[in-house]
Amino acid sequence: MLSPFALLFIVFSVYPVLASLRLSFMRYNAICNPDQSPCGSVGFGNYTTLILHDDRFHKALSNTSLYVVGAVILGMAASLSLAIALQEDTRINRVMRVVFFLPSVTSGIAVVLVWGWVFRGDGVGLLNAFLNIFGIAPVEWLATTWLAIPILIFMSIWGGAGFGMILFLAGLNSIPAMYYEAAVIDGAGPKERFRYITLPLLRPVMVYVGITGLIGAFQIFEGVYLLFPTSVGSIGGLQDMALMIVPYLYDAGFNKFRLGYASAIAWVLFAIIFIVSMINLKITRSMEDLK
Amino acid sequence: MSQTISKAEIRKNEKLMERSGSFTNPFEKKSRASKLRRLPIYLLVVVMIAPYYWMITSSLKSVKELQVVPPTLFPRDVILGNYYDSKYNPEMFQQEVMQGLFQRYPDLKFGFFRFMINSFVVNISITVLTLIIGSLAAYVVSKHRFKGKKFIYLVIIGSMMIPWQVGLIPGFLLVDDLGWINTYWAYIVPALPKAFIVFFLTQYLTSIPDELVEAARIDGASEFTIYYRIILPLLKPALIAMMIFTAIGEWNNFLWPLIITTSQDMATLPVALANLRNSGAGNIGTQGIIMGASLITSIPTIALYFATQKHFIRGIALSGLK
Repeated sequence: MLSPFALLFIVFSVYPVLASLRLSFMRYNAICNPDQSPCGSVGFGNYTTLILHDDRFHKALSNTSLYVVGAVILGMAASLSLAIALQEDTRINRVMRVVFFLPSVTSGIAVVLVWGWVFRGDGVGLLNAFLNIFGIAPVEWLATTWLAIPILIFMSIWGGAGFGMILFLAGLNSIPAMYYEAAVIDGAGPKERFRYITLPLLRPVMVYVGITGLIGAFQIFEGVYLLFPTSVGSIGGLQDMALMIVPYLYDAGFNKFRLGYASAIAWVLFAIIFIVSMINLKITRSMEDLK
Repeated sequence: MSQTISKAEIRKNEKLMERSGSFTNPFEKKSRASKLRRLPIYLLVVVMIAPYYWMITSSLKSVKELQVVPPTLFPRDVILGNYYDSKYNPEMFQQEVMQGLFQRYPDLKFGFFRFMINSFVVNISITVLTLIIGSLAAYVVSKHRFKGKKFIYLVIIGSMMIPWQVGLIPGFLLVDDLGWINTYWAYIVPALPKAFIVFFLTQYLTSIPDELVEAARIDGASEFTIYYRIILPLLKPALIAMMIFTAIGEWNNFLWPLIITTSQDMATLPVALANLRNSGAGNIGTQGIIMGASLITSIPTIALYFATQKHFIRGIALSGLK
């Protein structure tokens, strides 16, 4: 009874991961593949090129880091604020919770296409049309290099804050009311109650929301693919302003057919996610030990 | 046997009661000022709804109206031409009469419906099959004793730490070698082994007493009878939660479908949507059609969410906070 799962798991989950590790040490592109010996193994060649010499990868890495930090921190703040604002179980709050959660179940592509219209550079762009009311000239939102990451962060918060909110709500509701009652009797104001009761007791939820958010943010693809194409069959937008790790992986693998190199990128992605999650866990653990 | 169940039920009820006790401070009375403090959140609600509003209204505007600067907030006249224009004639081309979404793919059997069919076939197959094989595996892992079980479970859990993109290139090569590019197989089969489902269902089953299964075994029930008659009914809430998550996740999947389809007729809705947009990228006149297609792509998952809202929220709490 385990065999259907086990078989599929080995063939389509375990094998690709191991094969990708092997590929990452090989040169494998449109003209040569591992069966033809001259361009087989390159040792750590792909990794050293990536880490030491590939400027596009460095750009992708710095863009992704910036995006992840912004999306996770601001996203978590947004989720928590929403959860607190909508905690009371009234009819209007229930409706609003649904509204904030809706993007989590909406097709990412569909949403990105609407944002594409919002941030159009001409007068039909919605944001430009809105700003025009105040006499502000149209801005080329998607062609202004420093705006790419903030726009993607905004889209991520719009799309993801509701999901975190649901988790924080569950966390808030599991805090026994008597803690707050006792604190009120002891004369604690709203600020103290938040600082000394809500925050510490929400820590497990925060760790969960933080780590899942982190992993999700590192894997951003759709927004970059659709909103920041470049004319030459590449990806990443003007001067690679929005190039990120997974789009770069896609670009290397399926536009340039450098399959070995793309596999190396995938393993670097894994290493980064792994290390960052571990650090995150360590920090939260040691914070708990402090008390 | 019945006693153990009722105890478990009592415990569950107690938990639910604890959770529902959300706190409102009796010392703070609602004033007009506190209502005014809620203003920002109402503004945010507008920001949240605006894209949906724009999707719907733009899909009902004519090409002429779409080109107006500044864009109109309310459609002047509501038309359905972006979906189907009865005046459209392939021989003539006029500005006002356009090719609706459902007239746009004359070479495809079923036209735009083809993408909807693809999405539904892929989605339903994956959801049903992945839950069946996942629950079978979870039953074995949680209720059977055999050598190497711990190792297998460890590998399954460990695989969840690896981002799926790591296997992307070899997965693509494998599917290519099997000759599955542009087939449903490439969509469905690689998506079936989901470690998270096995992990989640196993966790759920461990809270169910082993005596239940052992008693059935002593009574001579076969393994499949036990699975079908005891395990499946007990797993129902967990299965419903996993069904919703899988269905919504797979429906919105993009990167994998993008690389395994090269022919138009095998695209699912998200890929068809991206192609549609790339074909008419900067042209504002096609935006109405694109918004219509976006709306059609979004509706099924939103509908599923509304239909299963209670299970959905409970499922998130179950899977996230355990």
